Amino acid sequence: MTRSWGGRAAGLLVAGGVLLAVVLLSLVAGNQWFGPHDVYVAAADFTGSDTDRVIRYLRFPRTAVGLLAGAALGLAGAVMQGITRNPLADPGILGVNAGAALAVVVAIGLLGVQSLTGYVWFAMGGALIATVVVYLVGSVGRGGATPVKLALAGAALSALLGSVTSAITLLDLSTLNEFRFWVVGSLTLATGSIVTQALPFIAVGIILALTLGRSLNQLALGEDLAATLGTRIGLVRVLAALSVMLLAGTATAMAGPIAFVGLAVPHVARALVGADYRWILPWSLVLAPIVLLLADVVGRLVARPDELQVGIITALIGAPLFIALVRRRKLAEL
Amino acid sequence: MKTLAAAVVVLSLLTGCGGVAKAGPSATATTVKNCGIDVAVDGPPKRVFAAYQPAIEMAHALGISDRLVGTAYLDAEVLPRYAAAQKDRKYYKNLPSREELLSQDPDFVLSGFNDVFSSAGSDSSFGSRKSLSDLGVQTWIFSPLCPTADGKGDEAIDPSTVSMNNVYADLRDLGKLFNVADRAETVIADQQKRIAAVEAKVASAPKPTVAILRPGLEGGGLTVSGGPDFGTVLIRQAGGVNAFADLTSKRNVKISVEEFIKRDPDYILISGCCDATLTETQVQPDVQKILANPAYANLKAVKNKHVVPWLFAHHSAGVRGANSTELIAKLIHPDLVR
Repeated sequence: MTRSWGGRAAGLLVAGGVLLAVVLLSLVAGNQWFGPHDVYVAAADFTGSDTDRVIRYLRFPRTAVGLLAGAALGLAGAVMQGITRNPLADPGILGVNAGAALAVVVAIGLLGVQSLTGYVWFAMGGALIATVVVYLVGSVGRGGATPVKLALAGAALSALLGSVTSAITLLDLSTLNEFRFWVVGSLTLATGSIVTQALPFIAVGIILALTLGRSLNQLALGEDLAATLGTRIGLVRVLAALSVMLLAGTATAMAGPIAFVGLAVPHVARALVGADYRWILPWSLVLAPIVLLLADVVGRLVARPDELQVGIITALIGAPLFIALVRRRKLAEL
Repeated sequence: MKTLAAAVVVLSLLTGCGGVAKAGPSATATTVKNCGIDVAVDGPPKRVFAAYQPAIEMAHALGISDRLVGTAYLDAEVLPRYAAAQKDRKYYKNLPSREELLSQDPDFVLSGFNDVFSSAGSDSSFGSRKSLSDLGVQTWIFSPLCPTADGKGDEAIDPSTVSMNNVYADLRDLGKLFNVADRAETVIADQQKRIAAVEAKVASAPKPTVAILRPGLEGGGLTVSGGPDFGTVLIRQAGGVNAFADLTSKRNVKISVEEFIKRDPDYILISGCCDATLTETQVQPDVQKILANPAYANLKAVKNKHVVPWLFAHHSAGVRGANSTELIAKLIHPDLVR
């Protein structure tokens, strides 16, 4: 692919077109296949038929969650890889998903929160706390928050939070049932109101993340050089952490911890447009929902009358892709 | 040679479906086959551990409440007639670990479901039946849930064994083992009489479709009772058809919401579960959720307000059979059964 400005922009437009097509596919494909006209009727000329209701109340929210969660996870992964200069960074490695999931299980199991509108806040709080704790632990000692220390702190905290989560679910087996959703992500739980609630958080997170492109490019040169070039490293880290909290926390609250999207998509973007974060970020934003929605459509079709949760499909698709990427590109290249 | 001949005779006796008791070396020794495994006792077991609602209620029904050294994992309140007997029993909210179970020194474990002995089952598995038998602990799985081999679970249920007749066979066999045969016959006669009465009333009525639905998240899909679930039997006895009887991979089958809408069952029973104090009243919020969900607004059951609170305990195989058959019949044939 061409690396000129025009080439990258045109490519991004094409990717946007593909995304639109995938959104339409997500609306028509499933247990029953519908036509584009059915989608139009359900949206603009609602008659209350079964088809209308399935599209409007099941597939619209599901597709919207796929769009938002996909964009959020892809972007969060790209930001984390940039800020930690760690090609294996993603919301999972830095403990963000584990924090969000634990907070949700506490909400369900100990505080008796029943509705999804309750989980959102717990998940974001958990993501924030986990991000801060990982950052603080990773910053202790000489050299500040180095990539390796951050990753180690994230892994350690993930393990700790995972143990606490297990302990809580062992207290009450009925919680365990509900917790399954928070182990592997799915797009099927969200409703229109959840999407509306989540939208502002995701939007702020996206805007925040997109402004970081230039700073991440400078950080990629090394912290000393970046500081010399005028990058306020501390501020960039805080903004990056904030955007990841908003993006990954809200995505987890809507769809559970979906793995590999945040890890794999930024690498695909990097392979397509090079190492410039001003391009990697928007490309991740567009590519990730394509991947997530396609994975969801596959999950609907392969196990009828049941469905495979989208998190299972992303792991199946994402893991080999990621291994291939790691093998092809030297890790030190970031 | 004589011993060998005797053994052959015994073996041929034991191949019957429900199992046959035999007189052993001592006067009270009894051997009965359960799910393909010989259950041998030298005398009536004295220290019984009952796991899950159906086992606990069957123990009370057989009048062996005073022999229960432990009870675990109720899905709902026990039937009122057993409440007094259950009140003083040692009770575990969750299944105990194998170690905790053995610390109660049971000589018999009666389980309402097969997963406690399933190697692929829950974390709190008691271990395979053989591993317990090696320690002198005899075990029993309700026959309508027999897996095809020891250590297997719900995925290995033979649908043809899911019947009230196998509940009766269990009652008879346990009656022999515990030396309470008369009590067992009384329970069986009561169940048979009540179920026959319902069946006679609904015999020629049209058969509505009934779905038993587990509320909760479960990864965003729905969990319904499939063919091998005992609910299929109960619905049939009550003059209806399980809307998901054709799904036979497991008792509890996961389906997509869209599949549920496509099937459009006439009645939806919302199966609340898993607390010793649970009653139908506490399931009402889950009913409201279904009624209020715009995606379900076109369903026949929703339009006709035929979405009702129900208990998981009601559709487990066991001595609730007659009670649950009557409850479903009253719901789906209100003009015939009162």
